[in-house]
Amino acid sequence: MAAVQIADVRKTFGTTHVIRGVDVDIEDGEFVILVGPSGCGKSTLLRMIAGLESITSGEIRIGNRVVNDVPPKDRDIAMVFQNYALYPHMNVADNMAFSLKLKNAPKSEIETRINRAATILGLTELLDRYPRQLSGGQRQRVAMGRAIVRDPQVFLFDEPLSNLDAKLRVSMRAEIKDLHQRLKTTTVYVTHDQIEAMTMAEKIVVMHDGIVEQIGAPLELYDHPANLFVACFIGSPSMNVLKGRVELGEFITAGGVRLPLEKTPPSALGKPAVYGVRPEHLKLSADGVPGKVLVIEPTGSETQVVVEVDGQPITCLLRERVAIQRGDTISVRADPALVHLFDAETGKRLTD
Amino acid sequence: MSLAKIFRKLGLVFAVFLIVSPALLFFIWMVSLSVKFEIDNGAYPPILIPEHFAWKNYTSVFESNNFLLYFKNSIIVTGAATLFGLIVGVPAGYGIARMNAQKSAIIIMIARMTPGLSFLIPLFLIFKGLDMLGTLWPQIIIHLVVTVPIVIWIMIGYFETTPIELEEAAMIDGANRWQIFMKVAMPIAKPGIVVSFILSVIFSWNNFVFGVVLASRETRTLPVAIYNMLSFEQVSWGPLAAAALIVTLPVLILTVAAQRQIVAGLTAGAVKGG
Repeated sequence: MAAVQIADVRKTFGTTHVIRGVDVDIEDGEFVILVGPSGCGKSTLLRMIAGLESITSGEIRIGNRVVNDVPPKDRDIAMVFQNYALYPHMNVADNMAFSLKLKNAPKSEIETRINRAATILGLTELLDRYPRQLSGGQRQRVAMGRAIVRDPQVFLFDEPLSNLDAKLRVSMRAEIKDLHQRLKTTTVYVTHDQIEAMTMAEKIVVMHDGIVEQIGAPLELYDHPANLFVACFIGSPSMNVLKGRVELGEFITAGGVRLPLEKTPPSALGKPAVYGVRPEHLKLSADGVPGKVLVIEPTGSETQVVVEVDGQPITCLLRERVAIQRGDTISVRADPALVHLFDAETGKRLTD
Repeated sequence: MSLAKIFRKLGLVFAVFLIVSPALLFFIWMVSLSVKFEIDNGAYPPILIPEHFAWKNYTSVFESNNFLLYFKNSIIVTGAATLFGLIVGVPAGYGIARMNAQKSAIIIMIARMTPGLSFLIPLFLIFKGLDMLGTLWPQIIIHLVVTVPIVIWIMIGYFETTPIELEEAAMIDGANRWQIFMKVAMPIAKPGIVVSFILSVIFSWNNFVFGVVLASRETRTLPVAIYNMLSFEQVSWGPLAAAALIVTLPVLILTVAAQRQIVAGLTAGAVKGG
């Protein structure tokens, strides 16, 4: 196991800047998830840690070693690919043994390690099968088994669950998390799915356009997004945003709707800003802002209501079941203590 | 079945017969010729199935003309040319596919398209100067012009369809380039190797022009030997057809046996995952 340090790493393909100066510190044994929309550079960054992509500038350290010029095979890492990348001409046992055989490990050791990995992942019955005879979830497990037998310093996962169906994805999510808690190997995991990031990570790195937007624990990002991008990217359904300006004790939207604020950040006073509130922080309340109901989506445990406020659709997530219909007018109110304010130009957070 | 359906089916059968008949009738006539006596072969109107079968056409092929020697020559030339073709062509195809070296692929294609006669004469002089003409080497070497491009082009198609992630996984698993090629890329491309093997055998086995120029009496391959049967004696259709069939037979068996793989191999490059 080892810590991974990424210091001012950049990557250019010709004139395209894919990664534009990224710094991330990953502690020994930590489970870190790189998350962001497609094209944000997260997979490229992972492949740079793996050694599959060269580093244009900056430095990547695994343990105490700078690995910029170390070939993948000498980095002591294991990687799980999105499409599993199992060797189709080898059975499960041989797939897992491949790296050990290349290292000329003694037969008895190979066997012990394979059996251990197979037990951990519940693959003992499948050791003689070929990849084509396995289901998607089983293939994914074999791919993880191939990583485990090597007992590497770092596990790298490149969107490992995106080829699985929704139900299997949820159970594999729990399995990977459990695996990490048992093995305590440093893990870097790439996904575009923010729910995966929220549920699995100890630390999330939100990336966008080749830079890091914010690094932090899942709930920290949720409760204190550093900027508008993180605020909208993390959370489902995503945060409601309204443009307008800040006045003393209130926020006035472009359409003139007045929304109370708990504290007015002095620097924001009179400036154009963006008001953000999470759907679950909105409540039905007689003294709230009136709006016309556009959509009602009951899920059983909660009800999602889309209301038109100031000409914009605003999503409310209500815990209770409500007797309202499309076209009704209801009043919603945000808890002023849970409101976020962002700078309209830079997108930076204005509230503490 | 309605009448329209029956007509449609009959139409299809007729169309298929029309298209296939040149190849089929030619073949049937060859078989017929090979089992008839000369008198029947010259008869008019032509006889398809004779009253008396002339099996001796076949036995005489083996008895005369050093047929077994030529058979052996053909096997050595085709076998060696195919073997060298695979040894050179499979890694070359891999390299071209992985490095995306389309230009080199086209150059190889041009080598294949150049008419053989244009370089046969200079090569003849070179082989003469090297004093190699009495051996099978000139033919083996020149048959590489046939086998290497076939192998390379088929293998490019195969290696291009192998997912790159497999090789990246092997790279991370600790394999070097050579090990990736030997232990991952090549085993996966096995069907492609089989197809290129078969096609290169067929093309090399049937090659005629190179043999005519480069072979001496002892180093003839079968197609050349048959040609010589035509020129030395009067045209004796029976033995000629029998010899031609015997020459075709190994290739024919190979083709029928591997038909499915050949079709799969020829389309592999065209349709991803096809």
